[in-house]
Amino acid sequence: MISRVLVPMDGSEMSEHALEYALRAHPNAEITVLHVVGGPSPMWGEATALSLADDLEVDAAEHAEPVFERAREIVDAADGDATLETDIQLGHPVRAIINRADDYETVIIGSHGGTVAERLFVGNVAEKVVRRSPVPVTVVR
Amino acid sequence: MVETVLLVGIVASIFVGFNIGGSSTGIAWGPAVGAGIIKKTTAAALMTMFVFLGGWTVGRNVMDTLSGDIITIEISLAAGVAVLFFIGLGILVANVFGVPVPTSMTTVGAIVGLGLATGTTNFETIGWIVSWWVVTPIIGFWIGATIGRYLYPELNRRFEIKSSEGSLLALDRSGSVPKPALGPNTTLQELGGTIVVLIIGCYMAFSAGASNVPNAVAPLVSSGALEPNAAIIIATVAIGLGGFTIARRTMESVGSELSDIPLLAALIVMTTASTITTALSWIGIPISLVMGSVMTIVGLGWGRATRPVTAREVMRGDTDTEIAMGALAAEPDAPVTQIGEEESEAALDAGDLFNPRAVMKYVSMWIIGPSMSTLLAYGFFTLVPFVN
Repeated sequence: MISRVLVPMDGSEMSEHALEYALRAHPNAEITVLHVVGGPSPMWGEATALSLADDLEVDAAEHAEPVFERAREIVDAADGDATLETDIQLGHPVRAIINRADDYETVIIGSHGGTVAERLFVGNVAEKVVRRSPVPVTVVR
Repeated sequence: MVETVLLVGIVASIFVGFNIGGSSTGIAWGPAVGAGIIKKTTAAALMTMFVFLGGWTVGRNVMDTLSGDIITIEISLAAGVAVLFFIGLGILVANVFGVPVPTSMTTVGAIVGLGLATGTTNFETIGWIVSWWVVTPIIGFWIGATIGRYLYPELNRRFEIKSSEGSLLALDRSGSVPKPALGPNTTLQELGGTIVVLIIGCYMAFSAGASNVPNAVAPLVSSGALEPNAAIIIATVAIGLGGFTIARRTMESVGSELSDIPLLAALIVMTTASTITTALSWIGIPISLVMGSVMTIVGLGWGRATRPVTAREVMRGDTDTEIAMGALAAEPDAPVTQIGEEESEAALDAGDLFNPRAVMKYVSMWIIGPSMSTLLAYGFFTLVPFVN
């Protein structure tokens, strides 16, 4: 019985499917939604904004809030007693996910998210997580 | 026949200029528009004016390099039109994929491809250009990092007066419907801040004109089919057209990324990038705004993220951090978001934001872009030699 599940969400529809799937597959688990902010982007705007912020934690939380808000809605709408936790990390999504994965029993991730530009800059996150994760990974499509 | 080819060439020029106008207006005016200091239409009008000034003056040096120095022969009209198509293709790919591939690089790449196919490449000029391309991002990064690490906090403290004045500007606009009398101090401060932002925007537009006007028309100027003066006017009109139309979107997309950054940081980046671009255009090096801008942004962020103080601050501020996060989690409308103990020990490290490998991957696109353009142009001019 899996009790600790990590669901990385980038705010894309596919990542919402991943959370929905996680809730169906592990209805009683403790689900942690991880959102990575300040990743590589065409002008490095978000990353620079975060590093120049007076309070990095507060700024990062602001960036992540819409994604967590959506995650809460999805959890509330689902049946079961899953509990939701949230976690924010900075920088490259793949590294951040792999670093956190150790503390969980499994990772459930959407097969792709973001725009073509994002995929050019960081590659397919799900693919790289599958290859490097220390724990089993479910890819939702 | 010649008229038809020239006409096709001018249409291609306008397409290239139009797209350049879209992207560079976004970079030059995105922050000012995002901060609500200036309307999009005003931005486009200022853009057109200063692009013309830049193209008419400093831009001629770049025009000479592109039309005469990269290859030892003149670019025939037909070849010039083909080169323009490759430039347009590069822009199209950049737009579709959302990757900022510098137009100047695509242009030089395509002309070099023509030179390789005809055996007329001037390797000395190319070596000179490419070495500046290598040095420019490093200079931008270094300036950004120095400012970010040592000067930014001080500048930020002083600018705080100005940024509070930014909100005064917003107040003034909302109050401008009933038109109340403005406090004399408010007006002066407000005026000062707005003027600084406008001047820097115009400076950037000028450097965009100096560096980018030649990209749109140099291939046609080389053969003498188009007079330089007429060419500069055509390019300006095309860039202006892009500024008034598609830039509305790019000012939001590129501009929104830039206006993520505090206005002060954006102004530092714009000033640095414009200075680099204008200086290099002056000595005839084809260069794009984006090359200076992006690495200055990265430098600024990296310099700030890795400053020695950070480590101490993070350790000292650890408890504050927990309180801050706890306060967020305690919001009544935020249900089960307690931050577990194991999370709080993994304090966020700003150093993670600028992973060297991710930055290198980004920069590699500046190598792949012009290489592709050279290869494609080389292949085309080898297979279709009659256009030479």
